[in-house]
Amino acid sequence: MSSNIEKSEKKIRRFHPFRIMEHYMAIITFGLLATTGLSQRFHEFELSQWIIMNLGGITCVRLIHRYTGLVFTAAILLHVLVAVIGLTLRNWPASMVITKKDFTDAIDNLKYYFGVTNRPSLCDRYDYKQKFEYWGVVVGGILMIMTGLTLWFPTVVARHLPGELIPAAKAAHTNEALLAFLVIIIWHIYNSVFSPEVFPLDTSILVSGHVSRERMVHEHPVELARIEGVSLEEITARDGDGEEAFEILNGKKETPPN
Amino acid sequence: MKSRLLVFASILSFVFLLQPERLFAEPGARDRAGDDEVCLGCHADRSLTISFEGGGSASVYVNEKELKGSIHKILSCTACHTGFSSADHPRRKFKDRREYSLLASEGCRNCHPETQIRTKSIHLSIINGKGAKPVCVDCHGSHTVRKIAGGKSFVSETHYCLNCHSHELTVAFRDGEQMRFKVDAAELAASVHGKLGCSDCHFGFSMEQHLVRNFKTKRDYSIAAIETCRRCHFDKYIKTLDSIHYTVLSQGNLTAPVCTDCHGAHSISGAVQEKVNIARRCQKCHPAIYDIYARSVHGSALFSGQSTEVPVCVDCHNSHNIMDPRTFDYREKVPEICGGCHANREIMAKYGLSTEVVNTYLQDFHGITLKFYKRERKLLEADLRHGVKPIAVCTDCHGIHDIMKTSAPNASLVKANLVKRCQKCHPGATENFPESWMSHYKPTLSNAPLVFLINLLYKIFIPFMIFGLVLQILLHIWRYAVNR
Repeated sequence: MSSNIEKSEKKIRRFHPFRIMEHYMAIITFGLLATTGLSQRFHEFELSQWIIMNLGGITCVRLIHRYTGLVFTAAILLHVLVAVIGLTLRNWPASMVITKKDFTDAIDNLKYYFGVTNRPSLCDRYDYKQKFEYWGVVVGGILMIMTGLTLWFPTVVARHLPGELIPAAKAAHTNEALLAFLVIIIWHIYNSVFSPEVFPLDTSILVSGHVSRERMVHEHPVELARIEGVSLEEITARDGDGEEAFEILNGKKETPPN
Repeated sequence: MKSRLLVFASILSFVFLLQPERLFAEPGARDRAGDDEVCLGCHADRSLTISFEGGGSASVYVNEKELKGSIHKILSCTACHTGFSSADHPRRKFKDRREYSLLASEGCRNCHPETQIRTKSIHLSIINGKGAKPVCVDCHGSHTVRKIAGGKSFVSETHYCLNCHSHELTVAFRDGEQMRFKVDAAELAASVHGKLGCSDCHFGFSMEQHLVRNFKTKRDYSIAAIETCRRCHFDKYIKTLDSIHYTVLSQGNLTAPVCTDCHGAHSISGAVQEKVNIARRCQKCHPAIYDIYARSVHGSALFSGQSTEVPVCVDCHNSHNIMDPRTFDYREKVPEICGGCHANREIMAKYGLSTEVVNTYLQDFHGITLKFYKRERKLLEADLRHGVKPIAVCTDCHGIHDIMKTSAPNASLVKANLVKRCQKCHPGATENFPESWMSHYKPTLSNAPLVFLINLLYKIFIPFMIFGLVLQILLHIWRYAVNR
């Protein structure tokens, strides 16, 4: 029992301080870019005009947007560089790569939501929702960088490419921005703040870099099994904490299926 | 001719025959009253006339009552009519009435020497003026002579003033320049002010009063006339205070136009006028711009009579509060000015033009920037301190006075010109660059397929994505609630 208590209070380190710093960087740059960018897109709104006026006028807002964009670009490039070095030289596991399992996980989870199965999908280090957001940021970010630079230097682009690319870049930039903003506001904020599992705040990436073993059991059981060197079944079925976790998650005591 | 003289001579001889005792009276016996009696003996006859050599005649009848009522009632006839006496009536011949009046006026100078006459500015202007000058009797009358302001009965004040000012009066300013003070009565009557009395405008002047003013130049006089117009047209006057013309004037450029330069003075006509004439008023000082305008799509339509709806000078520049078009304030108004017609469906439909032009501009980079520049300058009171270039408005691409049809036959020239326009703000712009401007059209599959497809894609994808995510969240919450 004492070992169980130990285990349940055990914290598992999930994120390196570098990732925490990267996340803060993302918050700041995304926040600034969204504020200065969307207030330009929705320039007719009173709030947008208030923002622009209080940030020193349209020219100032555009400069803030562009230079923040540069910082964002640098952060993305650094991230890609670190990923490439890590994957090639340091033998990091390619845990962010989207696999077939992610699709089946998503379907399994939907089944669970609809009550077809009585257990959510069992995920590895990153579940399909996190991968969706991650690749959204990376791919969307690169798209934003490309289109943003096009809009910043339209004459350079038009020197080599058709001029129509500039309004096209604008269409892509502004629509992609709206999409990203809505996904973050609705999906990401829900998952990291309002979701009953993390409420009031998912501190794993914001503060400590650690999560409780208990959360690992129902959020990333596959990874936990690997860390503890036991089989997945042991985590989900025989591990007392795991069972308890399921009871908590399901709101009733229930024998998890094999 | 000869017969008239004959008649005149016979009348005279008839008179002499009738009253020989008066004609041949003792010279010493004459006294004033006696003299006058002798004269009036004949001249009280209303039918008495004098004929002129050049034709025509004039009455030489003297109304005794009027004479006795005049300021000269104390004088005898001979005091003015020198050379005449009860004993002597010289026969004089005159070419015409004018010569007769001239000689008659000479008599005045016996008592009113040149120096006295010259003390009145009105006399000076007559003396110094050009053209046919009135003589004393023209204004003052002869036997009825009174102070000019007091005696004559005039039907109106205008009548009174025109008594002198219908003549070729001139006035000399201190710098020597002369100005005609003749008022064309017909022109005045036809003007919009035709029913006003002179003193309604010429404040301080009346039948009792004739100010003596002292202007250095003719221009000073014209500028002072602003005050005249201001008294009734205060609203317009206030507007002019905001105009470039007033600014320039107050900076010391006295050639800047004032009310009368555009509207004229006594010939002033109503505001509703032929548009062509409005343009011509401005042409007086801005001939080069007028010429450019006349060749533009607007100007050529106006002058060829194709359309009277096209804007003339005042439609864009205003009539009284004419702004300095080089200011940011004016630049920021341009889309509004053009939009006044080009966003008006009713007007544009007649010419087959799109009303989307204004809106597409306002929703695009340039339009949005312009909107914020406007607000910034109002709210931040910052005079664009962060080195902002003026943002492109309608006129930067379409031209100012030389606006042409964009659907001109030489479309390639339009594009080439557009590149040049772009380069003003976007150095390094190449010939591909204008394609990035969607020519005031909303993107469609045919004119901008890429833009259209991207917009369409997101229009489907964003709601789809958000709907999916919200559904997932709701399912997640629902599952959690069910499990509890």
